[in-house]
Amino acid sequence: MSDDILYSIRNLTVEYKTRAGAVRAVDNVSLDIRRGEILGLVGESGCGKSTFGKALMRLHDGPASITGGELWFDGRDLMKLPITEMPNIRGAEIGMVFQDPMTSLNPVQRILDHLTETILTHEPGTSEADARKRAEELVERLGIRRERIMEYPHQMSGGMRQRVMISLALALRAKLVIADEPTTSLDVIVEAKFLDLLKELQKEFGLTILLITHNIGVVAEVADRVAVMYAAKMAEVGSVQRVFADPKHPYTQGLLKSVPNIKLDEGELYKMGGEPPSLLHPPVGCRFHPRCPFAMDICSEQEPAFEPVAGDQSASCWLYQKAGVQRVAENQDVHNG
Amino acid sequence: MTPIGLIALIFGIPSLLLLAYVFIKGSTGLRRYILTRIVLTLPMVFILGTMVFLIMHILPGDPVSSALGPKGTPEMIQQIRSELGLNDPLIVQYGRFLGEMVTLKFGNSLVGGHRPIIDEMSERFPATLELIIPASILALLIGIYGGTWAASKRKKTTDYAMRIYAVVIYSLPIFWLGLILQLFFGVTLKWFPISGRIDPIIGTTLKTYTNIYTIDALISGNWPALWSVLQHLVLPTVTLGLIQSGLFVRMTRVNVIETLHTDYIAAARARGVREHVLIYGHALKNAMIPVITLIGLQVAILLAGAVLTETVFSWPGMGSYLVERISARDYTAVQSVITVFALLVALISLAVDVIYSLVDPRVRY
Amino acid sequence: MSNIDEKPANTPLEGTTWEVELKQVGFVRRLLMARRWYGADWWFVTISAVAVLIFIIIAIFPQWFAPYSPDALAGPRFVAPGATVELSFLVVPADSSVNKLQDLAVPEGTDQASVAVVQGLPTSGDLNDAAQKIDEIIKNQPAGLRLRPIIDRYVTLDEALQSVMAGTDKAAVVQSTDLAAIKASYPTLREAGSLSGQVAGNYILGTNDIGQDVLSRLLWGTRIALIIGFSSSILSLVLGVPLGLIAGFVGGTFDRLLSLLMDSLYAFPGLILAIAITAVLGPSILNIILAIAVLYIPTYYRIVRGQTLSVKEEVYVEAAKSIGARRLEILTRYIFPNVIPSVAIIFSVNVADAILTGAGLSFLGLGLPPTIADWGIDLARGQRFIQTAWWMITFPGLAILLVVLSFTLMGEGLTEIFNPKLRDR
Repeated sequence: MSDDILYSIRNLTVEYKTRAGAVRAVDNVSLDIRRGEILGLVGESGCGKSTFGKALMRLHDGPASITGGELWFDGRDLMKLPITEMPNIRGAEIGMVFQDPMTSLNPVQRILDHLTETILTHEPGTSEADARKRAEELVERLGIRRERIMEYPHQMSGGMRQRVMISLALALRAKLVIADEPTTSLDVIVEAKFLDLLKELQKEFGLTILLITHNIGVVAEVADRVAVMYAAKMAEVGSVQRVFADPKHPYTQGLLKSVPNIKLDEGELYKMGGEPPSLLHPPVGCRFHPRCPFAMDICSEQEPAFEPVAGDQSASCWLYQKAGVQRVAENQDVHNG
Repeated sequence: MTPIGLIALIFGIPSLLLLAYVFIKGSTGLRRYILTRIVLTLPMVFILGTMVFLIMHILPGDPVSSALGPKGTPEMIQQIRSELGLNDPLIVQYGRFLGEMVTLKFGNSLVGGHRPIIDEMSERFPATLELIIPASILALLIGIYGGTWAASKRKKTTDYAMRIYAVVIYSLPIFWLGLILQLFFGVTLKWFPISGRIDPIIGTTLKTYTNIYTIDALISGNWPALWSVLQHLVLPTVTLGLIQSGLFVRMTRVNVIETLHTDYIAAARARGVREHVLIYGHALKNAMIPVITLIGLQVAILLAGAVLTETVFSWPGMGSYLVERISARDYTAVQSVITVFALLVALISLAVDVIYSLVDPRVRY
Repeated sequence: MSNIDEKPANTPLEGTTWEVELKQVGFVRRLLMARRWYGADWWFVTISAVAVLIFIIIAIFPQWFAPYSPDALAGPRFVAPGATVELSFLVVPADSSVNKLQDLAVPEGTDQASVAVVQGLPTSGDLNDAAQKIDEIIKNQPAGLRLRPIIDRYVTLDEALQSVMAGTDKAAVVQSTDLAAIKASYPTLREAGSLSGQVAGNYILGTNDIGQDVLSRLLWGTRIALIIGFSSSILSLVLGVPLGLIAGFVGGTFDRLLSLLMDSLYAFPGLILAIAITAVLGPSILNIILAIAVLYIPTYYRIVRGQTLSVKEEVYVEAAKSIGARRLEILTRYIFPNVIPSVAIIFSVNVADAILTGAGLSFLGLGLPPTIADWGIDLARGQRFIQTAWWMITFPGLAILLVVLSFTLMGEGLTEIFNPKLRDR
């Protein structure tokens, strides 16, 4: 694995056991996260991106489990570690910022205790005084007055709480920070401030950030690269400039078209037809084919592989793959003669 | 100094100090909360007392003639009735009753000795306290740790076993549990005595100040007495405590499961906090808060259980006093005892609410 | 002894009445499908429902199951469960006219009959006891008979029996365990009934302090337990549910006052209130039912009122749109059906509680006249003999536990099914 890739996720599958059967929330997904980058992971609700994010720490909801894949973080496969080792990595090497800071903070625990607990869990030799000092410095760096560290979560504003969440992720200088919908519960102005802060911190601490969101605008603003998920599978990955200028996967195209644009006076809003598929019985072949304006026969028969298309842009679509191209050509032949 | 007076001091002074402290140091929100709770308790006491009064006076049956039995001539009945003021209009009797409730001057027992009821209760009440306090602590311990344990082993055998335990405990007649414990540990194994508070011979050596024998034995350094009391305390406490624990186990289990599914526990887990710290540290503490209020609800069950437990183990407390006085048809005593119970319920509910407000910072600030 | 969880059901408001009814038609089918869906909880409900049914049948027809009548002195006192009853039997020559011990009585003044016993066995003691008892009775009768047999002690059973055959003794007293052997080896002798006239019965659970069969009393006790349980629960329901509906629906001062009253009642220890009421009213079944019924009215009241309030919000919005629905209609057609599942749950738990409280009351000696076979009373009696007769307290209590457990489990299972809280997490 090359040195500039911090986290190489290969063929990850996460399954949920439900009364109606097994559901794959993440189905054979691979992704490389490069050191020092901000990688945006976008997709509709229910496409599996949150589950994916949690799985990177080998965390999952009760009925779910990681049933396949390799998680090569910083040179070792986390899947090979005994699960009892994972708490050492969580918070220390990989940190997470959650969506709703009100519910993600313990209402009966002071902010200080949140921080000192994290510090003491991973560095048990630290004295209480030292831990407290570090905690105070941390919140100050994030723009919170250090006296407020004694407060309870419900006494703070939404934006402040979100900054507390970041400070918790940074308390031990984690190498990778996974931000799961961090701005969804914030209003636009607070969101902008939050994103600025994120960029600052990334430069200062040399963080690698995986930003999970359904808001493409956020990705456009801060991310270096973007990965698009659809129906538990990876649709497209590439640098933000390339993907936004020339989206290859039809789903990405639809996604970008659906973003309302204030500046241009376009008539109606674009809406992608159809609905995301049920993951209990996903469509055969390419999962997007029922909604795809460019669907071909092969799309409903076989799943396309996730392959590079142009430069560092990769997509899983028959339009760009040999077999698909071939089929199109064959069909034309049949038509023509 | 009467035992009741002593007990009032022992419990009352720290409580008042605590209340004062909370008042001074707490925020206005807290003060308002406590005042509201105190004010709301008064109507409850009033209503309960009135209920007791109505039951004793409105329902058919003349207590005096039942008390005297066949010996009672009509003249005797009339004389006692007017002595007790039973011929006065109902309103007057009611007013008198309210006065008694407030001052705790309950008059004299109707049957057998005509002792002041307050004296008799003075001996009995501490005995009940000595029983219900350890029993509640036991119930809480079993409930909170058992419930948390069950929640941590969700869906596995331990969890179902705990749920069955809670249901069986709930369905178990407390007097039967007492009898079975008596049978097994008292008669078959002979580990513990099965009746009374203390060995009668040793009992004569004990100087009683508060009438809570454990405290009295400690104060006077009477170790044989202390040992005897503790031995006698085991079976009744376990009986009452076990029955109480059922509800606590259920509630703790439900609350811990819910807490374990919250976002903040998931966030803590994502920070590497160890699972058992999450369960027995965070989840337990968060789940404990609603369970504490449950103690207030449980007071009713606790007192009812105490009545039955005291009867089974011949424990001379308020509960067995009530039953004895009813068999003796001593209705003045019965009325007084029930009034005291009502006051107790109100007081304990109030205390629990105040404690809850201290523990949950959301109420405090 | 109050209720467990009290969260109201989250059933959304159904449309018109016929839709509600349709839902109930599919109920049976859904019940069977539910088995796979609900897992363990379905089993809770089904098993407990079957148990409840069995108990109800026992309560209605105890005579089908009970070997003896509950008041009958079915056997010797303090027979342990499964123990073989050692009765002493009279053995006489086949041609003798003696058919019971009393037949050996002779007029005052004449020689008393001599009876053979084997020395060292309890038979001689039994003979003395039985003869004394009969003697007391007959000595005052005009016939002037006395029964004070002379006891001849022999070393072995054979010697005793041979003396009877030889005529030296009029009869012999032997243990029931020897009867079979005697029948085989001594064809000229026959048995003449037991000394006490009792038949050696089989007492599966033993007998109590006066010789009543524990099992029979157990089975007959089901009747009174279920009567108290169901009657008081139905009474509470009939009073509590309408009050809750009205209070929730009407609101205002009426609601507030009533709620204050109900909350105070609810907070008070149930048993103690029941004790007070029965103490004043006097012991009878009706009074117990009334006393216990009062205890549970607040529970129904609170739940029904709570649900009424939450449903009322929705309905008034609808009613505003479709003016014309009269208030009573809204109450009966919309609110009431939504309330039924919770009420069912409360009812089963209520019955369980009522049985417990009733047993507690009779254990304390309050409430029931002592002539009725009741588990609580039996437990109280058993307590006096805890050192010697463990079966007197074990089985009645077990019966209470099983019955109450069935109803509680049913309530539990119903709760999980109607108010799914923590099913799939």
